[in-house]
Amino acid sequence: MGWAYEWWIDLARALGLPEAFQYPFVARGVVAILMLAPMLGGLSHLVVARRLAFFSTTLGQAALTGLVIGVAAGQALDETYTPILGFCLLVGVVMSYVRRQTTLPPDTVIGVFMAFTLGLGICLLVAATRRFNIHQIEAVMFGSVLTITDRDLLLVFVLGSLLGVVVAVAYNLVLADSLSPPIARARGAPTTAIDYGFVVIVTIAITVSLKVIGALLVEAMIVVPAAAARNIAGSTRGYLWWSIALAAIAGLSGLFISTLWRVPSGGAIVLALSVCFFLSLPIGRLSRR
Amino acid sequence: MSNAAVELEHVTIRREGRLVVEDACLEINAGTIHVLIGPNGAGKSTLLAAMLGQTAFAGTIKLHFRGSGDVGYVPQSFVADRTMPITIGEFLALQRQRWPVCLGVRKAARARVATILERVGLAGMERRRLGELSGGELRRVLIGNAIDPAPELLLCDEPATGLDPAAIEQLDRVLCELRDEHGTTVVMVSHDRAQVRRIANRVTLLHVQIKDTGQPAKVLERAAASAEAMV
Repeated sequence: MGWAYEWWIDLARALGLPEAFQYPFVARGVVAILMLAPMLGGLSHLVVARRLAFFSTTLGQAALTGLVIGVAAGQALDETYTPILGFCLLVGVVMSYVRRQTTLPPDTVIGVFMAFTLGLGICLLVAATRRFNIHQIEAVMFGSVLTITDRDLLLVFVLGSLLGVVVAVAYNLVLADSLSPPIARARGAPTTAIDYGFVVIVTIAITVSLKVIGALLVEAMIVVPAAAARNIAGSTRGYLWWSIALAAIAGLSGLFISTLWRVPSGGAIVLALSVCFFLSLPIGRLSRR
Repeated sequence: MSNAAVELEHVTIRREGRLVVEDACLEINAGTIHVLIGPNGAGKSTLLAAMLGQTAFAGTIKLHFRGSGDVGYVPQSFVADRTMPITIGEFLALQRQRWPVCLGVRKAARARVATILERVGLAGMERRRLGELSGGELRRVLIGNAIDPAPELLLCDEPATGLDPAAIEQLDRVLCELRDEHGTTVVMVSHDRAQVRRIANRVTLLHVQIKDTGQPAKVLERAAASAEAMV
């Protein structure tokens, strides 16, 4: 990944940015944001189209519980991808199954699962803190560019590319199913497979993004870009590109804010995303006049 | 050999313990327009959903396909989020190209979409947002979506709702054209007595059970006489 860091450091120097922006960990953060923005921003417009915003929030909470399960089982904090992914997949698939089987409103079912994963996480946290200082977990909860390694970035790149290809191939089916499952099903779309498959894709994307944005805030990155883009886009094409662009703009702004004022990168990115959303409201209203 | 496109054998459907359709036996001939009539809550839409395999039922439903096996469906209501930023062109292209619609509508799909919109009287409206359409315009888009490519079986749930007289005439033309030129079997729910008389080959009166089935004029006459159906 060295060439990517050097590219950013050279660019920061050429743009005359303060020295702090040329630090290697900031370069790693910039590269991470530029990789995460297309993945999370791109997915976010489908997450919102499928009304899975609250569902994704619950997966973010489940990631924290997965992390605690891993640590309680004796794994190092850096080695917890497997328990996070495993627990999130389990919660996501079971939540989808229950949502499909019951006549309860989806948000009620998701609320139950959110309470369950949080309760379990809090109970296990007590067991896990016997093994390490609770402050060590903050990096995973709130995100920190200081902890990103080349291996994390490679994982984001490989899995992000793979998810991108899968989503591109299935895109039309997924969107048709999001708009009207009965019409899509009548035309032969495998709607059940689409439903579960999309949950798996979102879960993987959330898991590999944790280091940068944090378990508690990752859901913002997968919901807010599309929420803001929806206010200003006039077509699906615009919706996708605005989602990606806003994720990248807010991601980089948040990273720079966290570098300048030494606040957690996850929180700063979410604040920047929120600003984008609130700005999109009047812009959208003006553009529709 | 039977000419049936759809066969219902003792179909019973319950929803939350309530009997919606009871012991329905029906044969729908291929290449005909078969209309289901009956009052609200009679089970017509539920029966269509069962034919689509979208609701659980007891009994047997056989779909006999001889050609493409394509099924078109015009739902009674379109429950999608109307604030979704998607144009009519993109919506119709979803099922007409493999290339992701978010990366643009391809030339071939654009041509097909233009033809579809022309057939349903919405020529040149590709760039309009789906959410901006009136109820009647949206219904015409859904009809257009269901008729291309010409399906072997077309299920329409009150397709004329919200359409103006000219659009209803256009809908009649499109349905008759599908039946006569492509051999499409059309199963339609309708409350429009005049439309039923104009285009139906057979009519079935449903009120939880199948009360009557046969030639449109006769079924409508008997239904009016018994005041069973509020057609």
